[in-house]
Parts: sequence; C-alpha cells; structure tokens
Amino acid sequence: MSSNSGYNRLFDPMQETGRPLDFAQHGLGNKTVGNSFSDKAKMSVRNLNVYYDDKQAIHDVSLDINRNEVMAMIGPSGCGKSTFLRCLNRMNDTIDNCKVEGEVTLDEHNIYDRKQDVVPLRARVGIVFQKPNPFPKSIYENVAYGPRVHGLVSRRAQLDEIVEDSLRRASLWDEVKDRLFSSGTGLSGGQQQRLCIARTIAVNPEVILMDEPCSALDPIATARIEELMADLSQNFTIAIVTHSMQQAARVSNRTAYFHMGRLIEVNDTRRVFTNPEHALTEAYITGRFG
Amino acid sequence: MAKMTPNTVSARKHVDTMALVTRNLGKRKRAEWRFRAYGVAAILFGFACLLILFSDIIAKGHGAFFQTQVYVQVPLNAQRLQITDPSSTAQLAKANYDSVIEQGLIEDQMRINGAIGSTAADKRQLLNLISTGAVYTVEETLSDTPSLLNQTVGVWLVADDDVDNYVKSLGHSGEGISGRLSQQQQGWVDNWIAHEQVRQAFNTTFFTSGDSREPEQAGIRSALMGSLFMLLVTIGLSFPIGIAAAIYLEEYAPKNGLTDFIEVNINNLAAVPSIIFGLLGLAIFIGFFDMPRSIPLVGGLVLTLMTLPTIIISSRAAIKAVPPSIRDAAYGLGASKMQVVLHHVVPLAMPGMLTGAIIGFAQALGETAPLLMIGMVAFIVDVPDNLMDPSSALPVQIFLWADSPERAFVERTSAAIMVLLAFLITMNGLAVWLRHRLGRSHQ
Amino acid sequence: MERHISQRFDSDLEALKSQVLEMGGVVEQQIIDSVKAIESVDRTLAEHVLSVEDDVDRREVLLDENCTMILACRQPAASDLRMVLSVTKMTRDLERMGDEAQKIAQMAIALSDDGAAPGGYESIRHMGALVQKMVNSVLDAFARFDADKALDVARADTQVDREYQSAMREIVTYMMEDPRSIGRVMNIIWALRSIERIGDHARNIAEHIIYLVKGLDVRHTSVHEIEMRLNKS
Repeated sequence: MSSNSGYNRLFDPMQETGRPLDFAQHGLGNKTVGNSFSDKAKMSVRNLNVYYDDKQAIHDVSLDINRNEVMAMIGPSGCGKSTFLRCLNRMNDTIDNCKVEGEVTLDEHNIYDRKQDVVPLRARVGIVFQKPNPFPKSIYENVAYGPRVHGLVSRRAQLDEIVEDSLRRASLWDEVKDRLFSSGTGLSGGQQQRLCIARTIAVNPEVILMDEPCSALDPIATARIEELMADLSQNFTIAIVTHSMQQAARVSNRTAYFHMGRLIEVNDTRRVFTNPEHALTEAYITGRFG
Repeated sequence: MAKMTPNTVSARKHVDTMALVTRNLGKRKRAEWRFRAYGVAAILFGFACLLILFSDIIAKGHGAFFQTQVYVQVPLNAQRLQITDPSSTAQLAKANYDSVIEQGLIEDQMRINGAIGSTAADKRQLLNLISTGAVYTVEETLSDTPSLLNQTVGVWLVADDDVDNYVKSLGHSGEGISGRLSQQQQGWVDNWIAHEQVRQAFNTTFFTSGDSREPEQAGIRSALMGSLFMLLVTIGLSFPIGIAAAIYLEEYAPKNGLTDFIEVNINNLAAVPSIIFGLLGLAIFIGFFDMPRSIPLVGGLVLTLMTLPTIIISSRAAIKAVPPSIRDAAYGLGASKMQVVLHHVVPLAMPGMLTGAIIGFAQALGETAPLLMIGMVAFIVDVPDNLMDPSSALPVQIFLWADSPERAFVERTSAAIMVLLAFLITMNGLAVWLRHRLGRSHQ
Repeated sequence: MERHISQRFDSDLEALKSQVLEMGGVVEQQIIDSVKAIESVDRTLAEHVLSVEDDVDRREVLLDENCTMILACRQPAASDLRMVLSVTKMTRDLERMGDEAQKIAQMAIALSDDGAAPGGYESIRHMGALVQKMVNSVLDAFARFDADKALDVARADTQVDREYQSAMREIVTYMMEDPRSIGRVMNIIWALRSIERIGDHARNIAEHIIYLVKGLDVRHTSVHEIEMRLNKS
C-alpha cells in the first residue's frame, strides 16, 4: 500500500535519489487517471492524435470540458497542451503540416466534420493568445471587428452597445472610455490583453480558449485577468493553458496535466494541488522536474 | 589529487581580472573608434561622389534652361511673304518667312554696321545666326495680330546654337568660344551684343517640343511624355499583378515543389539583365502580337515584365513581415482568409509593398537597354498624345543627345538628366510620404 | 524525480523533517523520564523533565517559523504542501505531549512530597510503556513516511484507552478502601490521564502522517474507517 504512494518514492531516504526520471516506470503509456469524463460536457474530445509531419504531438487524448467550468491545462514545455487547446477551435488548420485525428465535439457536434466551416466555429469558440495582440487599430475597432466580420449588427448604435458591453465585461471600460478611438497598441500590456478578451467576448462565443494569457503580464495585470476569468466563467466555458501552477490552482475548477503529448491526469483542481493521483503530476506540481 | 580543486579555484582568484580588463580597454576603445570611422568614411565618400555628380551635371546643364535670343526688326512685307490674307491659316503655313527674316537681318546689319558683304554666302552666313525655328516665331506673331502685315515689327528670335554657345561662353569667361562661327559672324554677334540686341530668355522650347536636329529647337517633352505613359502602364499593370501574385504565393499557395520552383524562378528573373526583357518584348509584343514599334504601351509592358519580380519579392517580404500574432488574432475571431488578408495583412504590408514597388518603378524609369530593343530609340519629333503614339523615353533621349556631335547638346544632355533626377526624387518623395501616412494610420 | 529542481527547497524540507524528529526525540525522552520519575519516586528526574520544557517550546517556535518561511517563499503544492501543513500540526501535538509529560513530572514531585500512593503504579508503568512505544512508532512512521505504521499507532491508541478505563476502575477501589489516600491517588489519576492524553496526541500525529503520505484527511474517524479508506486509495 505504502510502497506505491507518491510521497514514499519522493522522500524515502532508503531509496537512491537524484536518479533520472524513468517515464515507463511511471506508467506514461497508461490511460489518463482522474475524472476526464463528464455527462454535462460542453466540449468532448475523444481519442485525439495530432501530428506535425511525422512527429506525434498529442497521443490519444480524451477529455470532457464542462459547461461554465474553467478547465486549466498544465504541463512542462512541449507537452502538447497548447496544441491541444488550438485543436478546440481548429486554429491548427492554419499550420500546414499539422494533422489531426480523432473527434472533438461541441454540443455533440463534431467540429472536425468535413461539413463544419471554421468561421462559425471560431465565432462559437473564441481564443485569447499568450502575447497581447490587438490589431493596430483603434480600441473601438478592435472590439468591433468580430461583430463586423460576422455581420452581427446592422446599426452603429448596436455596435456601440456591443463595444461598451464587451469592454465592461472585460473590466476595461472605465480605463478606456475616454479614448475609444486611440490606438489599441498604445495601451499597457495588461490592458491590451483585456482588450483582446473584450474583442473575443464581443462575438459572444460559448467557449473561450486562453493560451497562457498572463505569461507576458506583471502580477497586478495577471491578478486582474484572473479576477476577470472568475466573472466570465459564469457565462462562458473557459479552457486555459498556463505555465503558472498557482494560476491554474487559483482560477480553475478542474486541472488537466499533460506530459509528452499524453493526458496524464484530470482531476478537481483542489485534488490536483493537494493530492494528485499520478506520480508524474505530483512531480511536476511540486517542482521536481519541468 | 584531492587538493587539485581548491588549488585551481584559488589560482583563478589570484588572476587580477580588473588589471586584464583595463589593459585591453584601450585597445577595445581604439577598435571601436576605427569601426565607427570606417562607417563615417563610407558615408562621406558616398556624399562626395553624389556631390561631384550633381555639381557636374548642374554646372553643365543649367545653361540649357536659358536660350539666347536676338532682337530683329522684321518687315512683314506681304510680297516677300507671298501671301495676301494674313488671317488664312493655309496661307500663313505656306508663307516665306525666311525671306522676311533675311531682309530684317540685312536691314539690321545695314543700320548698325553700315554695310555687310553682298555675296549670297554672306547672306547665308547672316541667316545662319538665327535658328531655323525662328520662322515659327514670326508666323506666330503674324497669326496673333494679322494687322501687322506690311509693317515692321521687332521680334526676339531664337539664335542658332553656335551663337548660343558663343554668347554663353562670353558670359562665363569673357572669352568667346567661336566654335563653328566665322570671323565675320562673330563680328555681327559682337555688334548685336554691343547694341543690346541679345538676351537670355527662359528656354520654354526645352519643355514644350520634341527632339530636333537643331539643339536650340530640341526639347524633352516627347521623351518626358513617353516616360510618363510607360510609367502609367507599368504602375497600372505591375503593381496589382505583383501584389496579387505575392498574396497568392504567401497566403494561399501550398508549400510544395511547384511553388518552390516558382519562387526560385522569380528570384532569378529579378537578376536577369534588363536587355533580355527587351528581347522578350521584341519577340512577344512586336514579333508575335504585331504591335507597332516605339510606342509607350509596348515599352510599359516590357518594363512591367522587368519590375514584376522586384515587386513580387518585396511584397512577399512585406507580407511575411506581418506579425503572425495579428493573423492569429483575426483567425481566432473567425475572420475568413480573405478578410484576414484584406483587413490585416495587406494594410500592414502596404508600406513595405509600396517601397518595393516604387524602387521597381524608379528602376523602370531609368531603364534604357530594353527600350532600345523595342525601337524607342527612334528620333521622335512629335509629342505623343496617347499610349499608341511613337515616343521616346527620358533615359533614351539622354543617350541619344549624349551621342550627338553638336556642342549645345552637352548642356541639354545634362539638363535632361536633371529632369530625370527630379522625376525620380519626386517619386521617391511620394513613396516616403505614402509610407509615412499608411504607417501612421496603422500604429 | 525524487529531488526538487530547487535544491534549497529540498534541504529546507529535509531540515524541517529532521527538526521534527529531533523535537520528537526530546519529547519522547521527556515522556520516558516522567513516567520513570513517578514509578521510582525520583524527584531529581522529575525536575529534569520540567527543565527540558523550555527547549521543547523553543523548538516548536523554530519549526513554526520554518514552516511559515516555506509557505511564503516556496508556495509548496501537493505532497510538499501536505508535508508543511502536517509538520505545523505535528509540532503542536508534540508540544502538547511535552506539556503532558510536564504534568506527569509535577505529579511525580507531588507524590515524592506526600508519600507514595497505595496503588496504580502498575497501570502507570504499563500504559507508560504502551504510550512510549506509540510515540516511538509514530516518529518512526514519520521518518519513513509509512502510513501503515501510522495506522498501527492509531490502533494502539484504542488499546491505551481501554487500559485507561480499567486502570480507573482499579484506582477507584483504592479510593473507596482508604479515603485518606484520595489526595495521593488523585495524583496517580492525573498522571494516568496525562499518559492517556499523550496517546491521543500520538494518534493525532499518526493521522497527520496518513494525511501527509496518502492525502487522506482521517481526523474524527474510527480506526476501522481509516483502514477502509486506506485500502480504497
């Protein structure tokens, strides 16, 4: 019983320490542990494999993301968590040598279906990137761009309303309401990222993907965005990739741990950060490799 | 062995790092200084060359903007003119102006000089002092005011290029370069100068007329219009085609052997000598499509072929330089490929594309060799009105004039170069302005 | 895998562990000494137990400081977090054990002043040995991160409780036999009570060790239940 517990292997003074990590020993090839499936899933991923040319980046990942939940994905660099995230709104389509196998469903409809157009898909599944990337246009234009390309509004007044509402929900309105028509690139890093979030929610998506949204921001800006995520999760389903385990612990309901393209563990965040099920998860979140 | 490690550590401590750093500091500073000095020297050298070129051209060419004119009292005798009705254009066109000018010159010399040689040779020499184009001045005077018939009017007539040279050289050094003028002709001219019957007027002919065998009647208008038409054709074709090709290759084309092949070929084409494009134009447009020679349309087409690779390459570079994050952002919001390209990629790449295009156009504007191949080297007197009129081009005109034996063409050559340079500078200025404007709107 | 990337974190945690074991050692000795002092009516030994208390208190404060430092600077997660949390609680329990040992020592002094009690020494010796073994085992379980051994300690506590009950019944008969000795017998009762409390603290520590090793919070549950949950995990 105690011989296979994570802690014993980590701390047992009788064991030789400093030995390189033996992945096979930790059952890397085995199935995901924890609660990766759910019966109230907003998005479901089944047996997803992703290849870049011959290199396999994602190995047979299956995962459900629940409605109005914040799902955090953590793991060391190159573990495939960003690739996985980008599969959820087919952003990988823009990469030529990327091949996706398996099934990803949004409300039980396969988004990799041949009849699925990526344009409406991305209207439903928005994405926020690591580096704040506002368009080199005015703040107003940045937020109005999505509704415009999708033709969501017919009158200027409606558009004004959407812009204000989106900026408010991104808690940026008070800071920019007096300079809506100055350039979006003139804002600070944190404001730019919130502008990008406002731009994404202006399309009123159902799911928001966030790819390390705070990695380029200072702690105060990060705290603002985290606060914002908590608010947003009431209306949206959020999947966030993060390098900061504390962030995952703070914002998410469930946490998925990826390792070398495999989904190792999915569990309630509380569980993952106090008592992870898998030894690899344990090793990663306690800072024993990375 | 066990002591080894502490020893090496302490040995390193004994090396005085600061002393070493200080010792090398002077050397490094001198190297730094030299490095900067090379750069400054290169820039100074470039400036000096440019300065020499400009000052030489301006020194040689500025004279061409002024023309020597001689004041002559011309008796508009109807008999001599062999006309009856001065308001009839048909009669005016046929009138014998040479005769009245000759008469005016003779009377003029009689008045100031007392006498002239009476031989026909003397008369011819006298008439030769005035440009053959002077008849048009007289004709114009008469057609403007027909009532002057049978009266004597004072007219400023354009002097012959030899007189022009002589007068200008007097003005420069005080010592006239007679050139082809005889002793006698020099005397007459000196007399005119003494009686203040000679002036330097702005040379409108240079800008208003086409080429001519007579330097004082030669102008760049034909060449300028030819260049302008060609440039319009080139801009109209190569900019849209080039950008469309660049967008397709960058954004849409699959990355495979074929696109690689196309890319290699475009790069090679950019390095192909321009005369090859001339040959191509000759074979295709004139040989195969049977278009007329010497017309700006063909010239423009040839220059389009020549500039396309430059524009495609620079446009592709500009498109590549658009940050992928902007593309991702637009795709992430659900923009379609065309929307991403038109809303984000092209506006952001536009300054870069424009720079490349304008460099291409400037190159095209200064190109001579391919135009020689399609017959734009012809002697064109008439100013072209449209794309199908035979015309010359500025660089070809410069080439032709530089080749002419008359002394007066030397300054016209330089003047034409100045016009060409002004054209180029204007275009580049436009490019800078456009870049600035577009760049600012996308900050 | 066994080591953190940050080696200082490793040494911080190692230090924490050895400090707990050291403190445990001191407290264990206190318990042994105090029980012995009662048995052998050894006043000097009892006074020695009292004098050690300052050392135990100092160790408790130091351990708390170190835990605070690790929480603030390292933001430990998972097993590391459980380690730090368990250590803070274990320190508290150890300190309480020390307090109980002190009380036993005071009883020993009182008994040496008033004269020996009519009985109950056998119970003290017996329970003292049991509890001392528990403390020893629980420290050993901590040193090895051995949840099974910790479970054994929890089991042993129920035995101590049973022993305490029967010792009480026995002592009550003494009091009824000779009411004049009630004062001295009370000292024995207090000492037994303290020994029983030490057993409870040892059980608490065992529960912390189970939480530390298995991540299961087994406080306020019966030994039987703990066994079931451990088997499930």
